[in-house]
Amino acid sequence: MTARVEIKNLYKTYFRRKWLFGKGESFPVLKDVTLSLPENSVLGLVGESGCGKTTLCKVLLGIEKPTSGTVLADGKNTAEISKTVWKSLRRVMQVVYQDPYSSLDPRMNVRQVLSEPLDIHGLKKDRAERETFLKGLLASVGMSETFLDRYPHEFSGGQRQRICIARALALEPKILVADEPVSALDVSVQAQILNLLKKIKRERKISMLFVTHDFAVARFLCDEIAVMYKGRIVERAPAEEIFTRPLHPYTRALLAAVPRVDGTGFALAAGTPGAEPGRENWACPFAPRCAAATEDCRARCFELKEVSPRHWCACGAISAE
Amino acid sequence: MAFWRTGRIGNWYNNTMAAPVLTVRELRVDFTVDKRTVPVLRGLSYTLEKGRILAVVGESGSGKTVHALSLLRLLPPCADIAGGEIVFNGQDLLSLSPSALRDVRGNKISMIFQDPSSSLNPVLTIGEQLEETLRAHRKISREEARRQAAHLLTSVGIADAEKRLGEYPFQFSGGMCQRVMIAMALALSPDVLIADEPTTALDVTIQAQILGLMKALQQAAGTAVIFITHNLALAAQIADDVLVLYAGLCMEKAPAKELFSNPLHPYTQGLLNSLASLSQTCEELPAIAGNPPVPGENLPGCPFAPRCNKAFDKCRACLPPLFEKNGRQVRCWLEEPK
Repeated sequence: MTARVEIKNLYKTYFRRKWLFGKGESFPVLKDVTLSLPENSVLGLVGESGCGKTTLCKVLLGIEKPTSGTVLADGKNTAEISKTVWKSLRRVMQVVYQDPYSSLDPRMNVRQVLSEPLDIHGLKKDRAERETFLKGLLASVGMSETFLDRYPHEFSGGQRQRICIARALALEPKILVADEPVSALDVSVQAQILNLLKKIKRERKISMLFVTHDFAVARFLCDEIAVMYKGRIVERAPAEEIFTRPLHPYTRALLAAVPRVDGTGFALAAGTPGAEPGRENWACPFAPRCAAATEDCRARCFELKEVSPRHWCACGAISAE
Repeated sequence: MAFWRTGRIGNWYNNTMAAPVLTVRELRVDFTVDKRTVPVLRGLSYTLEKGRILAVVGESGSGKTVHALSLLRLLPPCADIAGGEIVFNGQDLLSLSPSALRDVRGNKISMIFQDPSSSLNPVLTIGEQLEETLRAHRKISREEARRQAAHLLTSVGIADAEKRLGEYPFQFSGGMCQRVMIAMALALSPDVLIADEPTTALDVTIQAQILGLMKALQQAAGTAVIFITHNLALAAQIADDVLVLYAGLCMEKAPAKELFSNPLHPYTQGLLNSLASLSQTCEELPAIAGNPPVPGENLPGCPFAPRCNKAFDKCRACLPPLFEKNGRQVRCWLEEPK
């Protein structure tokens, strides 16, 4: 199986100057991220807010430039290709954002929203063909063709997200980046959109990078899951394996903290402070919150290591087992 | 309304048969939008007893936040309490004078808002804000207020409290800010704490800590809590009773354990079925079709009927009342006693 997206040793650092003539400060956001997205599969990226999930999407989409490392999308190194090649790459790679309220232009009706990508790439120019295509597109995301002439404000959040998905699918991409596509939606609508994404994956053979902070959602949709903490991938494994055999202490902590409807398995950690004092400067970024941290974690930060087939984990305590 | 006070299994307050701290009767709130009256709450009733946690679960637009704001009369000017009663310890909150209301707010009923970083004043130190709360309601000296504030910060698990009192909210992380909010809300040991989505802006691991903290402090003080959330699983974890709100109406109210093990209303059933599970995976989630109604949409019958797969003609024609069943309440014609 060839990979649609290959990310190797990717670093992204933001710089900020405190005042005009001041010395710059650097904020490393992504550190040594290596990921691959195989054909026709969904890779879930799970982590808490501020861990770099969205930055990774931005780098992959070319909105941000990597500080170092390589990103190969559909076989092309995104740092080296020209603008023309980028334009053709955007046909292959599309995105669905988190907030369907701010990602649709309120002055464009659905027809215009869906036509724009086709116009830019000069596709489906014949009027009748365009019309049939747009209707088919709307139908494929579960919406009626009568909605073509309506405006975004006439739709609810779930319907808007369907339009966003239809817009992303208009160019028939091979790679879809979905940045928290259901977290802004109502509970009763989330399931509909998740089903739709699963159907799209099944029918269109799309590779998807699915960013979420919700493990249950990841389990439903993803084939493989990567857990991110402070800009690093700390664990990566097939979805089933993450849930049946989580290895990294952070993955375990995350899973234990997920509230469950049956009321079990949720540790209400009363009064535990967020950080163990005195470990702030340790090499392993998770050490301050880690119960299994040893002296080793002070000196070195462990790299991702294949613990068992297709199961990667970056933890000293685990690799030693 | 004695039926709500009948014994509950698994409730540690079972034997005390506590008197209700807060009684809400037929609360109706209307919004005026473009000279049009939009009902947002359409007759909400419940009682809250000492030391219990009531979760109010609903989607956006269901009226859960409006309900919380109306308890303290913090509604925006376009909103109007059209009817009902809110009785707190024997006094009707809706008829209180502004000064009497000030004595209740923050002192006897306090509130934690959704976004911790925007509900703290960015230009005042954490200490100043905590002391202000204390000194507004208690006649104590600055030094005493300072001392109590430091004690409060320690009690919510913030180390080095003395030093952190002098810091500003931007120096605190989201989880730490929410701890400060909890400290502030519990500073005057209120009888009722309203928590409006207190952990939505936080990450799951921090959420678990904050909820654990809230529950520990709540149990120690016997505070009654109204916990507003859109997350069913959270309600299952923390609440004693759950009230499911949909389009401004209570659809179902039951003890948490019973509601989640045996939901009666088709809406509750649908919601629970549609949740992705952590313990197993499936090919397709049984989703509820359609979209929640827009406030102001004119539905003569049950507001859930258009999306309900069990709906029949009567559901679409007239609104069911809340039916009693084994000490639970459910608004569905299917549960109508024969």
